[in-house]
Amino acid sequence: MVLTFVEHADGAPDALSLQALTLARGFADGEPVQAVMAGPGAAEAAPALGEYGVATVHVAELDGGYAPQAWARAVAELAGRIGPAAVVAAGSDRGNEILAHAAVMTGAALAANCVAATPGDPAGVTRVRWGGSLLEEARLHGALKLLTVAPHALAMEPAPAGETAIETFGPELRPEDLVVQVSERVDTSTGGLSLAEAPIVVSGGRGVGSAEGFGMLEELAGLLGGVVGCSRAVTSAGWRPHTDQVGQTGTKISPDLYIPCGISGATQHMAGCKGAKRILAINADPDAPILANADYAVVGDVGEIVPAITAELRRVREAS
Amino acid sequence: MSGGVLSAVALLAVLALAGGVFAQRALLLVRLVRMGKPSGIDRSDAVPERLRQEATVVLGQRKLFQRLVPGLMHAFIFWGFLALFPTIVIAMIGIVDRDSTLPWLGEQGWFALLVDVFAVLVLVGVGIALWIRKVVRPRRFEGSHLGEADLILAWITGIVVTLLLWHAARIALGLNEYGAGWSPVANVLSGMFGDGEATEALERVLVWAHVLLILGFLAYLPRSKHLHIFTAAINVYFGRTRARGRLEPLRFDEDLPEEEMRFGIGTVEDLTWKQMVDSMSCTECGRCQEVCPAWATGKTLSPKLLIMGVRDHLFTQGPLALAARASGETYDGPLVAASDDLEEMAWDCVTCGACVRECPVNIEHVDHILDLRRHLVMVESRFPSEAEPMLRDVERQSNPWGKPQAERAAWSDGLGVRVLQPGDPVPEVLYWVGCAASFDERARTSAQSTAKLLQAAGVDFAILGPREACNGDPARRMGNEYVFQAYAEQNVETLNEAGVRKIVASCPHCFNTLANEYPDFGGRYEVVHHTELLAELVREGRLTPTATEQTITYHDSCYLARHNDVLAQPRELAAAVGKPIEMERSGKRTFCCGAGGAHMWMEENARPINEERVREATATGAETLAVACPFCTVMLDDGVQSTGSEMRVADVATLLAEAVETGAPAHEREAG
Repeated sequence: MVLTFVEHADGAPDALSLQALTLARGFADGEPVQAVMAGPGAAEAAPALGEYGVATVHVAELDGGYAPQAWARAVAELAGRIGPAAVVAAGSDRGNEILAHAAVMTGAALAANCVAATPGDPAGVTRVRWGGSLLEEARLHGALKLLTVAPHALAMEPAPAGETAIETFGPELRPEDLVVQVSERVDTSTGGLSLAEAPIVVSGGRGVGSAEGFGMLEELAGLLGGVVGCSRAVTSAGWRPHTDQVGQTGTKISPDLYIPCGISGATQHMAGCKGAKRILAINADPDAPILANADYAVVGDVGEIVPAITAELRRVREAS
Repeated sequence: MSGGVLSAVALLAVLALAGGVFAQRALLLVRLVRMGKPSGIDRSDAVPERLRQEATVVLGQRKLFQRLVPGLMHAFIFWGFLALFPTIVIAMIGIVDRDSTLPWLGEQGWFALLVDVFAVLVLVGVGIALWIRKVVRPRRFEGSHLGEADLILAWITGIVVTLLLWHAARIALGLNEYGAGWSPVANVLSGMFGDGEATEALERVLVWAHVLLILGFLAYLPRSKHLHIFTAAINVYFGRTRARGRLEPLRFDEDLPEEEMRFGIGTVEDLTWKQMVDSMSCTECGRCQEVCPAWATGKTLSPKLLIMGVRDHLFTQGPLALAARASGETYDGPLVAASDDLEEMAWDCVTCGACVRECPVNIEHVDHILDLRRHLVMVESRFPSEAEPMLRDVERQSNPWGKPQAERAAWSDGLGVRVLQPGDPVPEVLYWVGCAASFDERARTSAQSTAKLLQAAGVDFAILGPREACNGDPARRMGNEYVFQAYAEQNVETLNEAGVRKIVASCPHCFNTLANEYPDFGGRYEVVHHTELLAELVREGRLTPTATEQTITYHDSCYLARHNDVLAQPRELAAAVGKPIEMERSGKRTFCCGAGGAHMWMEENARPINEERVREATATGAETLAVACPFCTVMLDDGVQSTGSEMRVADVATLLAEAVETGAPAHEREAG
């Protein structure tokens, strides 16, 4: 039997977890597959797992939201009770975190980021290393094996299981299990849009002049429904956090429109935005390399051009 | 029993005790070093060169004299102890029979004088050491064991003072075998003593005190940082004899015995014997720390603390590994990188080699750091995440920025540079452009200038274009030896098939790899840097630059100056085009731009190294900051912008091209 930790949101199981179930069924090799879930809304999401070959869903009754050690304790305790050959989870931030804690609690070996697994002792796993450039063949020993599944490596294959039983259980927590828990959720100013995925990115470089100068870029990005990025010089100067950096050593972006403002376009920066479909560069220096890489360019002072664009956008929108 | 026999028995007893305590520790150290893995390079060759190193670095104290006052301090004590060595035997003979001495030598007046002079010099040395440590208090001692150093200085003082007083007492008692005038200091001191029974007793006390201090020192030494007395000479002998920029290659061949297999430094069992001797040789003097650009800009790395960390790890985990082996078990200890801050330190390093050059006992810090990285990258897959795109792009696109390989020769569009095709005749010189000068806008100018200059001088050259792949240096310095070796083999194959004999490289990193590291993979070429070739062309009159009034300060690239001794040629070029001004840290003492060791593709902690360097350059008042490396170009140009300096950053080749263009190209003039 193989147990799978399933994540969920808005009353439905997560896509990455359903992919993990594909691997779990293969690993079970005909044996039943069970699932464990936790957190508010788990019971509503559980029945949908019947479509993916899950015979029994164990729902952990825990108060509050996400608490990594507490959820891991639930998984470890359940595994100790029902004795699966393996516990599988999605290779998401949460899946990896929970199984890492569970590995410590059970003393079992964990292989993260697997794309294939064959049962047995030792079990064989193939996993992604090196940011996808290397596949590693590894062997996993022990009565219990823990695996997380590389995101988007496998399809969510439906496999109707007939009747799905839902059982609740109350894991016995230790005081230290609740050391880390979610206390508050704050949505980012970008409305949950990440730099890597945003369709429009407005970036600032040294030419913006100061941390305060980014206010006008925030405004423009807000109007366009995009997010703000920056160059390495800006993060080095401490004007913006490193998470905002676009470039070789920052985030690689591929927006529909990229608007670099006051960014010269050093190789280190271009390596981060070469995926952009269109580039509109604003720069005071007509010789800046960014202009040669841009589809559209405005040569001029960022402090004049950006507010002018913002004002024009506002005027057009108010008129329509 | 007579007094002499009793004394002899007592002396033998303390000798056996001290010797036993010494041997117990020495045996452990020997067992540890024998457990060490083989070094990646041959350290048994070049015996004459190694003996020369021994003569200059150990006996001549060459590297200590890189700093005059501390150098004198150490040389006085070191030479003093060499000169005083026979007095240990003389004192022991004196213990057994106060009327005997070492045959011949003990009776020589000149030797007595020598002893007096050097005893005083040792005391002067101790005085200077105390002055440095207590008054000057340089930052290089931060993190060193200061109390231990004080104890050792006190011990040395005790040994020398008891020696002088013993000699004085002997003179007072008329026991001296030589004229008292040969021993001026002891002679003056003898005035303090009478010639009665009290002095007779004191003479015994002093000689015993002297010998006991020496034997106590012997027992203490191998447990202290003063161990270097025994290990430093060994470490210097087995140090690198040439090609300081060459990293020890790892061996991945399948017929390698498993006990020799290593992927850098994982646990204590992966340390090479040389790395162990390195760590045992450290005196915590901190010269490395003082010159380290990472330390200077507030980062965690101090080469000294790193080596001390390796040593501490070796001394705590090493015995456990030995015990496990003795009982046939598998040692399963922690990673060396896990102790103290070693992992963070390993990533702070720019591999500039300032520490290695400065170290008086030839410790090779960079090899430790690279081996720590190799294990973290190749086994643990743990490294600064922002470097991952570089590693991936080097591996997949054969350049660190992921540019299309087909565009490698795009910088030369319109210049008419010959791209060498398979089967083409070999050019006199192959121009190895490198990824930075091929793809980076700021660095391209240097390649374009170099190509124009070679054309103007009528040099027969060609480039490989898309057949030139990354030399592998960024991946290697990051710790990914697999990827590096794959590129080394690929490039060597390309170059050998083309029949290339001479290469000119634009990038000091390519230059170092091609010249010093590719021979390990079957690639042997005459490799020069573009500044070397261009200086030669100017000297031969094939290029005739017109100098201007511009003031130029030249920044030495670590991989040119320190690792490969290319100092004069870039300066010749700077002098040929303008008025050179030197920075405080120049030549082999240059200060890194901050890009080495794959830091071009990493984020920097604490203060930026490039700004530190640019401020130094700006302080010269020069208008132009000349460089000879594409990474220095980018780093220093960034530094100029962020510090608001007015300097222009330009490659020496670009400055030369400008100065040549103002006059007519030499070969055209000849032709016309």
